[in-house]
Amino acid sequence: MKAYKKEVQFTIWMTAAFILVGNVGLIFSIFPVDAMLFGFPVMYIVPILMGWFGVFLLTLVAGKIGNRIDDDIERENDALGQADEAKEV
Amino acid sequence: MEGQSWQLENPILGLIVVGAIFVLFYVVGYLSNRKSKSAKELYVGGSNVGAITNGLAMASTYMSLATFLGITALILQLQVPFIMLWIQLILAIPLITIIYGTSLRRMGAFSPTHFIRDRYGVTASIIAALFMILVSVMYALGQMIGIAITFETLLGIPYITGLFIFGILIVGYITIGGMAGATNNAAIQMVIIALMFIVPLAAIMKAIGATGWYFPPLLYSDMVPAMLDALPTFFDYQFSPKWYFSIIPALTIGALGLPHLAMRVYTASSLKSARLAMVWFAFILGLVFSATYAMGFVGVFATTTQGVTISDADADKLTIILNMVYNPEWVTALVIAGAISAGLSTLSGNLLAIGALISQDIIATLKPDIQQRLSLRIGFVAIFLGGIVSILLAINPPAFLVVSILWAFGLAGVTNAPLIIVGVWWKEANKFGAIAASVVGGIIYIIVSPFVFPSIVLTGHGVTDGMGLSGAMLAVPISFILLIVISYITNRMPSLSGKLTKQADIELIERIHGWKDIKAYRYNSTLGASITVVVSAAIAIWALMPWGM
Repeated sequence: MKAYKKEVQFTIWMTAAFILVGNVGLIFSIFPVDAMLFGFPVMYIVPILMGWFGVFLLTLVAGKIGNRIDDDIERENDALGQADEAKEV
Repeated sequence: MEGQSWQLENPILGLIVVGAIFVLFYVVGYLSNRKSKSAKELYVGGSNVGAITNGLAMASTYMSLATFLGITALILQLQVPFIMLWIQLILAIPLITIIYGTSLRRMGAFSPTHFIRDRYGVTASIIAALFMILVSVMYALGQMIGIAITFETLLGIPYITGLFIFGILIVGYITIGGMAGATNNAAIQMVIIALMFIVPLAAIMKAIGATGWYFPPLLYSDMVPAMLDALPTFFDYQFSPKWYFSIIPALTIGALGLPHLAMRVYTASSLKSARLAMVWFAFILGLVFSATYAMGFVGVFATTTQGVTISDADADKLTIILNMVYNPEWVTALVIAGAISAGLSTLSGNLLAIGALISQDIIATLKPDIQQRLSLRIGFVAIFLGGIVSILLAINPPAFLVVSILWAFGLAGVTNAPLIIVGVWWKEANKFGAIAASVVGGIIYIIVSPFVFPSIVLTGHGVTDGMGLSGAMLAVPISFILLIVISYITNRMPSLSGKLTKQADIELIERIHGWKDIKAYRYNSTLGASITVVVSAAIAIWALMPWGM
């Protein structure tokens, strides 16, 4: 149950996080900001930076957690009774 | 095609460079694929591709000729809104990987349709395969047009002649190479694309006087004041939040249905390797995408402040024209080689997807007893025919290269993505829901596109309708609703229970998530399905309300 919950929650939250960092332009279209950052308008450079480094960082996190959840599922599989295993495999 | 004024003065130089990369790709393709004796080797490279090679190949497959040609043209036309639209395309492989890629890799699928067949049965998979073939052909068409335009610029030869000669040469190379060849070549192509795009851009920026030329993707802010003086509206968002929101169903979800991208995840040697490939993909794609925005910015800057004139017909050639204006000819020849590489890697992915769809998902589905050798031969013929069809369709190309490609994203998002996403995560999804979602959603998307009935569109804003943004915002949620609601109802109709394979579906879902046992509570949330229906209904209604464009 634990690994299943983790898998579902991870997928939902990670998907939401990816969509958010990849669509910062949508956020700025709702809440415009009139400021400059690194010599560019914030509404131009922040979506670009998030669309590169933000997504890159999320892939690192997603990779790590995804691998860990696989291990958890494997552990729960191993914990199954031998009789169950013989029946299901 | 027009634009004869922009040509290399010394086409021999360009020909030598392009000829050299063609030889390289043919040799790599031949060496990589000479052992392709099974469909698994042909379509997923034996599922043993390493993370770095795969990450680079994913980026290169995704980064089509549009990187060199179409994007900069649309930045010239739409300016910052188009950059905002393009940024989220980087989400494709990460989302495919976390939402369903690793599950389908665990299943051993060749293509997303392979999963649809096992999950929803033959009829649904053939409908999905036909739509995916249409998507792949549309996508391949964009590459063919771009390659012919590039050769036109390079050699000054007529568009049609270039299209046929080089189109057939390319299709030959892909047919010989298979997926192993395509993957190794795509990784090489990615390096060529990155170098041939970013280094010449640095030289252009240096010539214009930008002080940050040594890192073009991000260091061009010293040009911003001059840009604001010359074109104060460049950074304007121009459109409403609704327009920015419509990018999510059309392109973010659309990319999840693209078969040639998903197939890259299945080539991974392990799930860990697939996840690591996603990291490499994000890094390299972010780098080249950012450079593309810089190239678009420099293009607009050059046309508004430096007196460079580019006609509408030449807009697709912006990157090459900027190189012609600011760089020596041999650099432009290298850029053209980069553009051809970008087109080739994507075209390989598209045509291999077509091969897999026709031979594995349609013919092998209808005739499961077919011999392996014959199936492989049909695959090669399908890859070749797919290429020929895209050449023929490219004879009369649309005005802007990227529009046809982005419209194909939406079609994939409507007809395939819901089937795969819901199919992986909800046991209740069944074939009746899947068929209704794919057919009705697909028909609605095609009807509201400006290509079939120009008078039946949602916004009346040419590029928004043409790219499928408005159509997908209506059709994608409808597809999700139909799949969930019809599945839910038909699962409760005793007269239909004999036609459904509930137990097999349940076992498949548990297995592709890595479970060795079956538990009723897993992947069975009625609440999750209800929330999806309510949110989808709200989005579809929003899409039907006036866009104010």
